[in-house]
Amino acid sequence: MIFRRHAPFTALFIILSILAVAPLIAVLGYTFFENGTLSFESLLSVIRNNSIIQTMQNSLLLGVYVIATTTCIALPLAIIRTKTFLVKSEWLDIVFIIPFMTPPYIGSMGWILFMQHNGYYEQIFASEAPFTFFSIAGMVFIMSMHLYPFLYFMLKNALIRIDGSFQDATMIYGGNPVLNWIRVILPLLISSYVMAALLVFIKTLAEFGTPATFGKRIGYDVFTTEIHAYLSRWPINISAATSLSLLLLSVCMVIWYVQNVISRKYTYGVHSGKSTSSSQLKDSLLVRIFYSGYVYIIIGLSIGVPYFSIIATSLLKVRGEPLSLDNVTLSHYGELFTVGSSSFTALMNSINFAFVASTIAALIGFCAALYIRDAKRKPQQLLDFTSLLSNIIPGIVFVVGLILFWNAAWLPTTIYNTNWMPIVTYIVLFLPYSVQYTKSALSQLHPSIHHSNAVFAQNYGMILLKVWLPLLGQGILAGWMMTFIISMRELVGSLLILPPSVETSATFIYSQFEQGDVSKGMAMAVITVLLTVLCIFLIELLQRKALHAN
Amino acid sequence: MKKLKRTAMAGIFTSALLLSACGAGSDEASGAENSSSTDDNTITVYSAGPGGLAENIQEAFEEESGIKVEMFQSTTGKILSRLEAEANNPVADVVVLASVPSMEGLKSEDKLQAYESENGDSVNPEWSDPDHYYYGYSAAALGVAYNTNQVESLDADWAEFSEPEWQGRVAMPDPTSSGSAVDFLYGLTNQNDDGWETIQSWLDNDLLIAGANKEALNSVITGDNDVVVSSVDYMTYKAKDSGEPVDIYYPESGTVISPRAAAILADAQNAEGAQEYIDFLLSDTAQQLVADAYILPGNDEIELNNRAALSDIPTLPLDLDNIEEKQTETLNKFTSMD
Repeated sequence: MIFRRHAPFTALFIILSILAVAPLIAVLGYTFFENGTLSFESLLSVIRNNSIIQTMQNSLLLGVYVIATTTCIALPLAIIRTKTFLVKSEWLDIVFIIPFMTPPYIGSMGWILFMQHNGYYEQIFASEAPFTFFSIAGMVFIMSMHLYPFLYFMLKNALIRIDGSFQDATMIYGGNPVLNWIRVILPLLISSYVMAALLVFIKTLAEFGTPATFGKRIGYDVFTTEIHAYLSRWPINISAATSLSLLLLSVCMVIWYVQNVISRKYTYGVHSGKSTSSSQLKDSLLVRIFYSGYVYIIIGLSIGVPYFSIIATSLLKVRGEPLSLDNVTLSHYGELFTVGSSSFTALMNSINFAFVASTIAALIGFCAALYIRDAKRKPQQLLDFTSLLSNIIPGIVFVVGLILFWNAAWLPTTIYNTNWMPIVTYIVLFLPYSVQYTKSALSQLHPSIHHSNAVFAQNYGMILLKVWLPLLGQGILAGWMMTFIISMRELVGSLLILPPSVETSATFIYSQFEQGDVSKGMAMAVITVLLTVLCIFLIELLQRKALHAN
Repeated sequence: MKKLKRTAMAGIFTSALLLSACGAGSDEASGAENSSSTDDNTITVYSAGPGGLAENIQEAFEEESGIKVEMFQSTTGKILSRLEAEANNPVADVVVLASVPSMEGLKSEDKLQAYESENGDSVNPEWSDPDHYYYGYSAAALGVAYNTNQVESLDADWAEFSEPEWQGRVAMPDPTSSGSAVDFLYGLTNQNDDGWETIQSWLDNDLLIAGANKEALNSVITGDNDVVVSSVDYMTYKAKDSGEPVDIYYPESGTVISPRAAAILADAQNAEGAQEYIDFLLSDTAQQLVADAYILPGNDEIELNNRAALSDIPTLPLDLDNIEEKQTETLNKFTSMD
């Protein structure tokens, strides 16, 4: 009885432990145990290293700058999208997902090609850029252009939830609109904002692509690039890498804790039950032009410029010659689609790995979500926390742990050096997506379904197949697609764990930039991004359908 | 109670599906699973590029010997880190690195096994280990690459790049990313008393430290910079041949030759196959493939018509004694300079 009672929890927990917890323990073990005895030597020697303070400072400062910049971009956007005539332009939301879904290393490569000396900027405007782009400011800019959509969606949803009745109330009790904003709306926004901002901070700390491409160029080292360097440059120092991973992990845990405290303290009930339809919007023409202009500038900077350079580069015959019709070729794409070529194999590998990984992740996510539900009991909370670990822990820490764990001497068998290694890595890294999508689909269902299940169901297998699967199907599928696109482009894990003879599209692009033919890499980038955008449209379509059904 | 049963179902369902997924998936996803087997017909090679050459050699070797090669291609650093991580489950049989000091490192940690190849005498003895732990089967010379659209012709010696006219126009590969750049620093400073002064004067003249070899060269191809010092010559020849506006020369006072070495690992699962691979690397067939990739072959009797021959390059002597330790010092000294 006791066994049966705990069987689902035990089964799920064992799976998640092997996937996500064991690698973290491996990192701890490698750092603190030397020949079987406890030792703090490797951690201390890393901390004593002078450059570590600098790296830490770099990482944290970068996070702060990125929060500031994304706020400046996303807050006005969220307000424009909820309070002006643009409120009806739903298509804008799809457009704003694109920069977030663009792999950061591809975006920064685009910007580098555009802004460098003799780059596309100079070719188009026939003059040098009026400022130096290759500085910390440029890096913050590139990262913000990738992350602002994240903040924007959180703020927009918060603003929608703070409905008109609050503003109506403030109007009735006097006070001018500006003061109303400062004294009523902004405080109500704070909880959502702080949560989103801290997530942006964690995402910035965990980001590898931009620091590895742009940061390297300006000599700005951060945690992730240092960890990667210890693991992949002569002379190798794995224990320094694990020590650094632990430092990074601790920083993220602290931030996550702060975020939890704040969100518990400053969350207000803002649903009044009144409909959100506010008064008719009558913006003057000038205001309209101003708003639209702002939106188009942001789109141009976050999508237009990087995509222009990527596409232009992928079409160039001779890179040393300027852009012109004589210098255009489709040969890089031709090679990409030649069956058997290294680029074609890399693309197919990516698709295969992402497919298997997202399918397994969707399954685990489905079962975990059914078990976790509202996370009221302790085991449910524990499982919830475990399944979301990779949301707060940077990918590179997991990757280091996975390498160490799957190479442990006592393991009877290992998946290391097989194709299961990247698949397992992707599952570990992106499990939170499938869990969260299914959980949110579950939370939208009316409790009466549980009741009618209890009354009418003949057996539980039937409930699973006939009730939960169809009802949660759209959520699961959206989670599946999300995992699929993100696995397709995953870089740092793939760089470190792929078996011999195997490349993915991400490592292909990166290695073309590092050692090979940039144009070929950019052609691959264009295809990767096209696949991503296609998936985004499909997810959007699914969700719209789901809304109609409701 | 019912709730519990439902979740019990869910749990069992997951495990069942996971197991079946593992079973079903392993057919399509197990391509590399057998790479570590003791099968006589497979060897695993970890090779530090360059891409095209490694593949051509692999193909020719598979054809000639009937042995299948699993290849992991990466940079020297990544290969070393992989070997370290896999210490408990060794996979690789042969390792090919673009840097002799890291080979010396592996040798001093007893990670290599000696093998006297039948073709060993035909390659340059200066690039190989006298105890036959590794063979320098090829080498890259480090020269000065320049953008021909922006610099008409060039024959400046190393020290001249500290002159004001070169301010902010010169790039160099990052020694922390590029093994050959460490070789270069070591060679220049070990042989010339004023080597470090020269390097300091470049740094004072806004030398740009730009990623790995290809990234540094790319910055000159696209005109972002005008000159790369310590440019790996075969990459430059290759870019030049594909129509890019670049050229290369070797300064008169002498440059560094950076050998690329191959060795058999002590833990090799298929030592015989590995020995055949080394024999093949040193054979005329493979040496010709090396030459076709614009790289200096270890056997200097192979004719070169696409690049400068070894005898035409002014060379600084290579001192292999304690080279690993000395190069670590060199790297540390360089990274502490501004």
